[in-house]
Amino acid sequence: MTTPVLRIENLSKRYGSRAVLTGASFSVNKGDLKILIGPSGAGKSTLLQCINFLVQPDEGRIWLDGEEVRPGHRRALCTYRQKVGMIFQDFNLFDHLNALENVRIGLVRVKGIARDEAGERAVRELTRVGLRDHLQKYPAQLSGGQKQRVSIARALAMDPKVMLLDEPTSALDPELIGEVHSVIREMGQGGMTMIMATHQIGFARSLASEIIFMEDGRIVEQGAPDRIFCHAENARTREFCSKITELYGETR
Amino acid sequence: MEEWLYISTEVYPALLKGFWVSLALIVPSALFGIAIGIVLGVLRVYGSRPVMAAADGFVALFRGIPLVVQLFVWYFGLPYLKIYLNPFTAAVLGFSLCGGAYHSEYIRGALLSIKRGQMLAAQSLGFSTTRMIVSIVLPQALRRALPGCGNELIYLIKYSSLAYMITCVELTGQGKILASNSFRYTEIFLIIGACYLVMTSAAGVLLGRLEGRLRLPGFEQYRG
Repeated sequence: MTTPVLRIENLSKRYGSRAVLTGASFSVNKGDLKILIGPSGAGKSTLLQCINFLVQPDEGRIWLDGEEVRPGHRRALCTYRQKVGMIFQDFNLFDHLNALENVRIGLVRVKGIARDEAGERAVRELTRVGLRDHLQKYPAQLSGGQKQRVSIARALAMDPKVMLLDEPTSALDPELIGEVHSVIREMGQGGMTMIMATHQIGFARSLASEIIFMEDGRIVEQGAPDRIFCHAENARTREFCSKITELYGETR
Repeated sequence: MEEWLYISTEVYPALLKGFWVSLALIVPSALFGIAIGIVLGVLRVYGSRPVMAAADGFVALFRGIPLVVQLFVWYFGLPYLKIYLNPFTAAVLGFSLCGGAYHSEYIRGALLSIKRGQMLAAQSLGFSTTRMIVSIVLPQALRRALPGCGNELIYLIKYSSLAYMITCVELTGQGKILASNSFRYTEIFLIIGACYLVMTSAAGVLLGRLEGRLRLPGFEQYRG
């Protein structure tokens, strides 16, 4: 049996008396694409942000490549975060840096790679996401889809073992969703392990190795896409899936 | 003719001397003031609770006491503790601390205006907090703070005239001496006023150019 790339156990988070995440556990094998679905406020974002400790979970343990993460140890936490790429719904590019510098800065400032070498790597990553001609553009000069692709290049440049994607296309025009999806698809074909929250059900169904349905901070059901979409055990899962399929259809 | 002689042999050399002293006060005070302002501003936003409270206290103190009183404390008060500062040093110290307190408020405001998402992104790439502040937050915040800080720098040019109160004879001090010797208060102080106006205008132009050079897409001013 191989060790999973990432394993989380009993991850929980509460704000005051409100539990936003309760006892989430799963493991992700190399090359898996796990998709988190569920209504707004189900805890998908919180779960993703707890995985790289942008939100400090109250309880729970996490292992990366079989090694337990120690979030209390600051340097260890920074090293761990380098290995876990994160893509945000609203891109979060650094506004004062152009596309090239956005990708390069982590390599130079965090990994300590020489500027020139880091620059070459940044150009390679941006070329990979189809932005070879936009290296010098600032975030304010890029479209939403381009911004999201820069942020993917920025995360990939750090050589992560897992990528967390928090609704990467939710802030995009329908027309721009495709370009981001195709980059994500290529990442998957390249063997990248990913956990992604999304409402794009067609995309999820065609690519996911497993679907996780969440509601009220709990994982309600998880399984292969066809099982979740066609033969879900839980009534609430069935209801959500039929509603969202009706809404977003089979668009890929 | 007599007037002209008075101006060229007395007024001009004295004011020129005073001008250089003023400039020598203003430049280091401006640099130290901004440095203090950046450190204080960062501590007031990102410091731990006690550090934050200490920095807030510092600002309340140096922003709340009249600058003249602060200068008197540095120059006339410190000798009681067996610390002797020359007038120039006491003035630079007073201006830097007071300016720093004001700068910190502009910088604090600018730091708070940087969206949290960019910080999350930096953290998710493995940036430590310090590195994130230095490489991601400050470069943006300082651009936003620049107009406010420029305001404070222009104010510094004018309040540098208080140095003559602690016997550091700069432009205003020289004017005071000239005027009391010749009793031509109006003329002399009109000239002095014009000198300050020239200095502040020059600073305004330089600050405008600096803002222009640092301008980035997304940070430009919006013209309606």
